[in-house]
This record gives sequence, structure tokens and C-alpha cells, in this order.
Amino acid sequence: MAFSGALTLSDLNDFISPSQACIKPVEVSKTAETQGAIKVDNSGSYYEVSQDGSETKLETATISLNDCLACSGCITSAESVLVTLQSQEELYSILKQNKIAIETNDPSTHRTVVVSISPQTRASFAAKYQQTPLQVARKLTWFFKSLGVHSVFDTSFSRDLALLETGREFVERYRKAIAKGVLKPPNMNGSAASSSEAAAAAASGDMEVDTPKPRKRIIRRGAAATNDEPAVAVETESAMPMLASACPGWICYAEKTHGYMLPYISETKSPQQIMGSMVKNHFGSQLGLNPDQIYHVCVMPCYDKKLEASRSDFYSDLYKTRDVDCVITSTEVEKMFGEQGQTDMSVFGELDLDLGYNSVIKDPNTGADQVLVGASGNASGGFLEYVMQYGAREIFGIDGLDVDKAIGVEVKTVRNSDFREVTLEVPGSGEVLLKFAAAYGFRNIQNLVRKVKTGKSPYHFVEVMACPSGCINGGGQLKPPGDNFAAVPLKDWIAQVDGQYRNGVLARKPEENPVLEQLYREWLGGVDTPKAREQLRTGYHAVEQNLVNPLAVKW
Amino acid sequence: MPRLEQLAELTGHEDRVWCATWHPTKPILATCSGDKTVRIWQATNAQDPSKWQCTNVLEGGHKRTIRSVAWSPDGRQLATGSFDATTGIWERDEDENGDYECVATLEGHENETKSIAWSNSGALLATCSRDKSVWIWEVEEDNDFECLSVLQEHTQDVKMVAWHPTEELLASASYDDTIKIWKDDDDDWYCSDTLQGHESTVWAIDFAPSGDQIVSASADQTLKIWKRFPPGNPLGIVTPRRGEPVWKCVATVAGQHERCIYSVSWSKAHGLIASAGADNTIRLFEAIDARPEAPGVLVEIVAVAEAKEAHGTSDINSVAWYPSETHGDWLASGGDDGSVRIWRLVQ
Repeated sequence: MAFSGALTLSDLNDFISPSQACIKPVEVSKTAETQGAIKVDNSGSYYEVSQDGSETKLETATISLNDCLACSGCITSAESVLVTLQSQEELYSILKQNKIAIETNDPSTHRTVVVSISPQTRASFAAKYQQTPLQVARKLTWFFKSLGVHSVFDTSFSRDLALLETGREFVERYRKAIAKGVLKPPNMNGSAASSSEAAAAAASGDMEVDTPKPRKRIIRRGAAATNDEPAVAVETESAMPMLASACPGWICYAEKTHGYMLPYISETKSPQQIMGSMVKNHFGSQLGLNPDQIYHVCVMPCYDKKLEASRSDFYSDLYKTRDVDCVITSTEVEKMFGEQGQTDMSVFGELDLDLGYNSVIKDPNTGADQVLVGASGNASGGFLEYVMQYGAREIFGIDGLDVDKAIGVEVKTVRNSDFREVTLEVPGSGEVLLKFAAAYGFRNIQNLVRKVKTGKSPYHFVEVMACPSGCINGGGQLKPPGDNFAAVPLKDWIAQVDGQYRNGVLARKPEENPVLEQLYREWLGGVDTPKAREQLRTGYHAVEQNLVNPLAVKW
Repeated sequence: MPRLEQLAELTGHEDRVWCATWHPTKPILATCSGDKTVRIWQATNAQDPSKWQCTNVLEGGHKRTIRSVAWSPDGRQLATGSFDATTGIWERDEDENGDYECVATLEGHENETKSIAWSNSGALLATCSRDKSVWIWEVEEDNDFECLSVLQEHTQDVKMVAWHPTEELLASASYDDTIKIWKDDDDDWYCSDTLQGHESTVWAIDFAPSGDQIVSASADQTLKIWKRFPPGNPLGIVTPRRGEPVWKCVATVAGQHERCIYSVSWSKAHGLIASAGADNTIRLFEAIDARPEAPGVLVEIVAVAEAKEAHGTSDINSVAWYPSETHGDWLASGGDDGSVRIWRLVQ
């Protein structure tokens, strides 16, 4: 199936060729001209000889990785082609090239290498090697720097920015939805409609003044289950529910199979890509480097992040470089340990974490120089949690919520452990103010998509993740120690890794991150500026359903 | 000598008939076809089973061939699985002669849906597809169906799904030559056993009336009987997975069919097995349990009757025994010639 919830590397060899099921050759655009002949010259180049005798050299047909990403033909093997182009081998070759550049004193071929590590990777190593996340962060910093890496950062830092932007985007959408009548304003204090009308008017009034005109994306929603329902145009700026955008597995699936869901998805970039923008466009300028002089590597819990990094939306035509050059997974880093002859993590050296884009502060409890901090919330980034708290405060003035501890909100597991509902009600009357959900795994995504398509979704925001149990159980996370999977049942292993995720990490709200305010001011020029939108937001593209290569169909 | 006698030939479909299925309680037959419709047939006269009429044609619901059709256990709804990757749920208006209307469409499969089946309680619906997955849906009120699980362990096209007659246990048959058994463990469904042994595509499966045996029909021209052995069984068959019963092949019918076998039906009324396929013949078998005079043989299969050229020179795609003893001797078949035939077993 197309869905790569737990995409893993297997059956790869050096001979990479398009799969038999590749349909790219079938997609030939027909030209109106009559046919000519094909001629091959001595050097092996092909020429088309047209009727009047003129020859035009034919381009070698190639199937690029971007073709694969945008196609819905043979998915699996194409994605495996894509992921092999981003691996630790690439990183090694850049580091080697750097060494040569230094020896030959040729700065033009040198690329400053920056590695950003995800907190899920940290937790994975902590669980397997019996370390604390802080120790893992310090040891990975030591390991990468010993290879020649310049800086090691933590994507929890960029996640603060992603959370903040997502929260703000949600509040904007909610207010627009109320103003346009897409949503009915809730009855806050049991009094008549007049109060809600006033609230709606105030909301829309605010919006005119504060924000510049956002990009409007109108996509026709396809006919619903009963063929009678007319197609309705959905506008992103007021589309409810808003769906989280941080999971590339979900995004690729939605683009290929459920194009009508795209207007609902949040336009905020994922923490990985925000880090990419920051490293290339802010950090780089601080060091006096252009984006193409930096090589940015991200260490992630899954393979779909490699696909995300290769999206053309995250490629700079000007500098011919991607915001994230290479994504390697937790398992690939573990392989690097072996390749460098350093298999015992307990004897690794440790280095202080780089300041700048790390989430570290001086420990207020012990006085130690560095302690990890991060937004609270579960191991998939905490989007639901944060947007609920932010939305409740900004829209309704309700503070003091804690989704994790179910304070101020009702948390319910619906159907199965991968589908949760979180509801904020008016205290006393039970009127629903905000209803959010977290849907992880394919089957729950199916149900969500069906509900949204038929207009029966009761939610305002849904955190969507492709992997059951979320990012902590990504396809690239480390397997439990020992060869036999049966030794530790999967559920227990996931719980262990999850337990390490916040081990020793102090909770800090994104708004309390002092560097963010500085970033907004210096780098983006403000909170709602065109530059902020350019750096922090993105777009999605539905993939055309392609015709099936009849030769590849297996009946 | 028992034989199959043809009672009626029902024409009307404009393309091959893929599936024929009896209503759970009434003498009503639903058939589906490459002509994108479902036809409902009823005996015009209860006393004379040779006269049938087509009472309804369900059309406009699917854009491509309807590959399988199944009645819900209470007989009130029909599910249709189509090559257009959707499954339609149809209901008829209150009065007996009302039209059928498509009340829900289940989407999600990536390509052709091959088979659908209702669980015996009617609470669950299983669908399978060429996309190698088996989906389990839960029936909710208001004709809403919720996806409970998407099972992706087959490595090829899944041809058929069938539920256990009484338990919430599902079996699926695939082009990957295996049959998989699926169970529910609170949070999700999982594969509790994989039945290997066929040397080619397994086209069809059916459970024995007791539910402890499964008959499978394959492109390798054999039928196999599989028996379930729970942990701690008296024969001492090893059950490797903790707490899970294991299914073992206890008999193989070889040398009978001369080509692929496409369909098999195990009668709930009298226990005979009917099979048919590309050799244009419907064959009937009896599965006899172990007898003391044949030690080491758990199940013996005996050929009972056959009907050659049942649909002329056309392949037979589906055979179905009448589900209860009322007309337990009736067998319906559908073939590539576009006709549906009703047969009676005459002793």
C-alpha cells in the first residue's frame, strides 16, 4: 500500500533501478506531429529524424527522484531509491571533501556541517544505551564534532517556533471561520446570541487590522459518499478542522490519495524544516556564509523525513541548495558508531551542547551549566497540547490548562489507544468550546478523512501522525537491545523509549524561550511579516492520479 | 447415485456473473456481474423452483465491475464490492417491493475490491483488495461505517475474505498462496496464523458449519481441508504461538479438477462441499471425519457428484449452497457466460 507508516529499509542493494511497476514510461505526452524515425549515432546518442530530414538530438530519458516523489505508481521501491541518496555515506563524503578543502586551502569547496538532532532520537539512544537524554546529547555532540561537524543542535528548539506558529495559525483560522459562518460561535455564558455575534464581529474586526492578506487556496472538495452532494470549495484560511502538518508520512499520503484534505492541513512547517530555514538563512548569515556553504544534517526517528527534506518547496533556486541537505535516522547513526569503531556509547566523551539553537539553560535546581528544556506534550511534538492551551487562552481567556494531566479539559480514548479526544468545555454548562483529537496510524487516519470528507467531523484541530504510537515509534528508531524482538514485547519497548523522552527535561513553554523573541525581531522582522510567512510556512500539492501501467498490473 | 439437476437458468446479466449469494432466510438470490449491476432473483412460485424472475436490478452505484455481493445476516442490507475500489451498502425501501438504494459507500482501498463479508453478528464487515490489504469495518448506526483495522500482511492481491460462522474470526485467501487467520485483541487485529501449503493462488475459502475446519480452493487445482487445533489438543499438535490455536492441512483433493478452482461452498445444511472453476464442472464432495478403521487419516474426502459443462464451455466463478435446511438441496452458480443457474441435489 501507499501508506508508509513504518517505512523501513529492506531489500536494498547497490543496483538501483526503477521498479517493474514504474509507470513513468507510460506517461508520454502525445505530440500532434506525425512520427519520425529514430537514429543512433556512433557515440550512442539518439536522434529523431523528422519527415523533412532534420535531426534533433533526443534527451536521455531520466526518472529523477522528484518524479518518484510526485508519482503514485510504484511508491515503495521509488521511495527506497530516494532514501538511499540520503544516508550517512553522503555525510562522510562531505566531511572528507571538507578535509581536502582545508588541506588544499580551498574554501570554495568547504561546507560547514551542522547536525540537528531530534528529541525522539535522543530518547531512543537513552533507552537502548541506558543513558539520560542529556548524556546522549552531550555524547552525540562529542561524536559528531570528532568527525568534523561544526555545530550540533536540537530540533526541540525549532519545535518551539513550530508550536508557536501553529498556535497562532489556529487562532487566526478559528476567528476567520467564526466570521465567515463556517463555525458557530459557542455560547459562553448561557446568554442569547447577541453576545456571540458581538464576539464574532470583534474577532473579524481584529483580523482586518492585524494581518496582511493570507494566501487563499481554494480546492474543490470531491463529491461525498452520496453522489448527490455538490462539490464545495474549501478555503484554507477558515478550514475546520485544522490538521497538523509535522508528519511527512501523513502529508505524502494526503497529497497522493486525498487531495481534498490539503486545504485543511496547517501551513506551518515542521520543526525539521523550520530548523532548516534557521540554519541556512539565519545561522549562516551570522557566520557570514551563504546557504549553499552550509551542509545541514538532521537526525530523525523515521525515513519519511528524508522525503520531506527533498520536497521542492524546501529547495532554494537561488542558492541551489536545500534547507535540509540530508536526513539520517537513529539507526543510521548507530551504524555510524560501528563504522567509526565506537560501539560502546558509555565510553564516549562528552561536550557541552552548542548554544544558539539548543534547548538548554542553566539548571535552576542544581546550578549545573546545562540542563535540557522543552515544551511539554507527548513524544510526537505536543501539537495538540500546545494548540489547546494557546487557543483556550487567546480565544476564550481560559488559562491554567494541562492536557497531559487532564486539568481543565476532558481527555478520552476513543476506539483504540491511538485515537484520543480532548475537549474544553464551559465550566458548568458543558458547552463545547474546543474539541481536538489525536489520530495516529492508518486506520484512524482513514476514519478522520472519511469524517472530514462527509462534513461530520466535530473537531477544531487534529494532530495526525502516520505511525501507531507516534514519532517515538518511528520506522528509523533503534530496536531493543539483543537480536530477538520477542525478548522485549514491542509495547513495552515503546513505553521504555517514551519514558526517556522527557527524562531530565524541564518543561518550558515556547513563549518562555528567550531566543525566539530575538529571532522574530532580528531574523523575521516581526511576527506576521512576509519574511515570517516565507520562512515558517509552506504549501501542499495534490498528486494527479496516474494511469496504471497495464504491464505491471498483477491480477 | 446422487446427481445435480439443473432447475433453472437465469439470464439477464450482460457480462460475466462473478458472484451468487443467497439471502440468509428467504429464497432470494443476489448476483453481481461485470455489467456493473446486481440482480435480485426470486422464485415466482414457491412450489415450482424452476421458475424465477428478476425482481430488482441495482445499478448506478459503481463505476466498474461488481466483483462480490453479500447479504447482511439480518437480510436487510446488501454489500457490494467493486473494481472501482469502493464497497457499496444497499438497503431497500420498507415495503417488500421497494427499490434498493445505495445508502453508504466505503472508500479507502487503493484499487479493485475483490471480496466482502459480514461477520455472523452483522456488527463487522471485512473487505479485501488487490492492494494486498484486508480492512475491517464496524457497522455503526445511521449507516456509518468506522474503519477498525487495516491489515497489510499479505504480500499479494487478497482474493477472498470469510468469517467464522459463530466467532469473530476472519480468514483471508491470497494470490501469495496463503490463507491468513485474523483475530482481535482489544486494541487491534492481528494475524494469528498463516496457512501454507497451496502451490498457487488461493481463490476461495469457506468455513465448515462447525467452524473448526476451512476448505480452500486454489489455482493449483486442489482443494484443501484445514483443521483447527487448540493449544493442548489431544493429538499433541504443537501450537507454537502462546495461546493461539494452529491450523493444519488434514486433507487434499487432487486429481479431480482439471483447471483452477475459483469457488467453493460448504453447505451449512448437510455438510457437502461444492467446488467449481475453470474446468467448467461443478463437483460435490463429502468430508468424512476420522473413523477407527482408517487410523492416521483425520478427514477423508469422497467425491459425490459432478455436473460437467455446467455453464457450457464457460468458466464457473461462483457456487453457493442454500444456507439453511429449508432448501438445503439447492445450489446456485454463476459463470462467464453471464447466466445464473439453480441446481438441485437429487439423491
